[in-house]
Amino acid sequence: MVQAVTKGSSTRRRGRVWFLLPAFLLYTVFAVYPLVSALADSFWTWEGTARGGFAGARNFTSLFTTFPLNQQLLPAFWHTVAFFVGTMVVQNTFGLLVAVLLVELPRARRFLRTVYTVPYLIGGLVVGYLWSLLLSPAFGPLNAGLHAAGLGSLARPWLGDPATALPVVILVNAWQYLGFPVLLFGAALAGLPPEYGEAARVDGASAGQRFFRVTLPLLLPSIGVVTILTFIGSMNTFELVYSLEGAQGNQPTGPGGATDVLGLIFYRVAFQEGGSNAIGLSSALAVLLFVVTFGIAVAANRVVRRRTA
Amino acid sequence: MRARNGFAVLAAAALVATAACTATPSSSSRASGDNGDVTLSVWSWRPEDAAVYKQIFAKFHESHPHLKVDFKPYKSTEYNTILSTGLTQAGGPDVAQLRAYGGLQPLIQAGDLVPLDGQVAGLSNFETTSLDGARGRKDGKIYGVPLEMSTFQVYYNKDIFAKYQLQPPAGWDQLIADAKKLLAAGVTPFAAAGKDTWLLPLYADTFAATRYGGPGFEKKLLAGQAKFTDPEYVAALDVLNQLKPYFPKEQMGLGETDVQTLFATGKAAMIPEGSFALAPLKAINPKLNLGVFNPPPPPGALVTKPLQVGWVDASYGLNAKSKHRKEALELLQWMTTTEFGQLVADQLKQVSLVKGVQSGDPLLGEMVSAYRTDPTPYLMLVDFRYGTPLGSDLQAAGLQKMLLGQQTAAQVAGDIQTGVAQWFKP
Repeated sequence: MVQAVTKGSSTRRRGRVWFLLPAFLLYTVFAVYPLVSALADSFWTWEGTARGGFAGARNFTSLFTTFPLNQQLLPAFWHTVAFFVGTMVVQNTFGLLVAVLLVELPRARRFLRTVYTVPYLIGGLVVGYLWSLLLSPAFGPLNAGLHAAGLGSLARPWLGDPATALPVVILVNAWQYLGFPVLLFGAALAGLPPEYGEAARVDGASAGQRFFRVTLPLLLPSIGVVTILTFIGSMNTFELVYSLEGAQGNQPTGPGGATDVLGLIFYRVAFQEGGSNAIGLSSALAVLLFVVTFGIAVAANRVVRRRTA
Repeated sequence: MRARNGFAVLAAAALVATAACTATPSSSSRASGDNGDVTLSVWSWRPEDAAVYKQIFAKFHESHPHLKVDFKPYKSTEYNTILSTGLTQAGGPDVAQLRAYGGLQPLIQAGDLVPLDGQVAGLSNFETTSLDGARGRKDGKIYGVPLEMSTFQVYYNKDIFAKYQLQPPAGWDQLIADAKKLLAAGVTPFAAAGKDTWLLPLYADTFAATRYGGPGFEKKLLAGQAKFTDPEYVAALDVLNQLKPYFPKEQMGLGETDVQTLFATGKAAMIPEGSFALAPLKAINPKLNLGVFNPPPPPGALVTKPLQVGWVDASYGLNAKSKHRKEALELLQWMTTTEFGQLVADQLKQVSLVKGVQSGDPLLGEMVSAYRTDPTPYLMLVDFRYGTPLGSDLQAAGLQKMLLGQQTAAQVAGDIQTGVAQWFKP
């Protein structure tokens, strides 16, 4: 009897393997293989597209020893971190606020939700280009409007001033992706059992208390998901900064390099610098980026799960 | 059914493509016909000029009836790779368009090109500086017939100058006084960009090559007798700092097209720009009344007359593996004539370097003749763009920081020296 059960389940298991195979193959060919090959490439020196000798960790060390790359990496890392923190803060506050307000507006909800999601559907390059026109110091409507309103002293080259360039890029990014947390939080809010809120109200809790004591804790899993996805997106951010600030040869992007991020350094090392070992160096950088992003995302995911379990 | 049709189309396209590919080498190898006619294969990175080149080479065929030219342009960004492989294999070009200065050296060192000294008599139709773009660094021989060049100088709006009773400045003090006058009148003196940083090294050379000594300093640098950290060069970089008050306040937010528009619409009186900007400027405002000048030397300048920044963009050279060397040399010789030079100026709308060629626009003519008499190189492009990090990248990023007040001229010079020293050996 016992034997029969195990036999049956093992054939069933073998059957399941066949069903998994197509997905597994696709995933291997299109996700695992490129990753592994980038890892392999990073350990060799390259002459253009021809593989030279084994480099060991030399590609990794030269990322941190070659001038001026070694002086660009750390600032770019911090800019990337600021990019993530800034985007996350806006999304988890403003995005949540919008989602909560939409719950209170059942009629306009669907329409407004679409409106908020539209920029999310436009490519980052297009969004960046449109914003660079809006923010242009010479011909953009923003500065013209400030001057017309008598606030000319506030007008500045938003993308050309080291003090404002990164914050502006972060705000544009948060603006573009606002629809995403609005959707996620909206779905989470709709899934909350109304009994909790009503019970709290019966107990005399104010609207603020109900939100912070009841709704917000129940939304923590969604906040975690938004944060982790924002982190992954921010670590790999490229096209928005590229289209807002441009990329000039192998130079840090933005005024005085104020908006240089890791994704742009990768682009420069891989495509712009013109060094013969571009494949080796850029693969090494890609591996580092992946390890950091993957490691932190996995750790954060664990924390979020433990909290909500 | 639809899908199958699609496949058929694809298959047909693939067949045609293969046929075209296989046809390519045979056309040049089949070139010598029974009657002694030869078709020369010419490669270039200018697909946009293909139609014009067809007319130009038709003219060549008129005077050389036994020679035909098969002009094959490739995408500019892929040209270097295509050419370096093409020169090592059968089916390559007879005559090829060549990058200038540093970009040319790998092909020379690989022995892919034939030195033209003594083979193309018409090389005497060019000044020495014009030939520098096609010169081998090691052997000093000439490997290409210069095709066209670019210059960089200050354009000024004649109407604005007339309104404020200004003349192109005769001295540095005059330049500053004029700029102050314009500024007081609410006109931006110089439409200078900061977002498109590649312009900054050109600004530095245009305003201050005289300060570091122009070609003389270049020679010392290349010989290892001077460094970018030398006080003369640092002082030259600092000249842009002195001009900063007369650049737009939003400079770092402005790209090249922004400042071109500022200038062309009369909001700025002057713009440092290249010969290549003449057409775009006139496209924005066809009525623009333009003049050009080279800035007078700043205080302490080692060269006491204005210099014309310029550089050769391209030349045409001879493949060492060409089976029609004699005929290819005939074509190259023709490329040194005023007939060809005039076609380059009138049809290709480029600045030809052949002596005696009249430029289509008198302003272009002014630029070329200034370059003929008082040339100075675009230092970073001419000499420090053939290793990584590029000198132009280092200087551009550094000058932007300097104009933002984040670095001093000495720090910028230090970074250039550190970066370039990693690959440049005098």
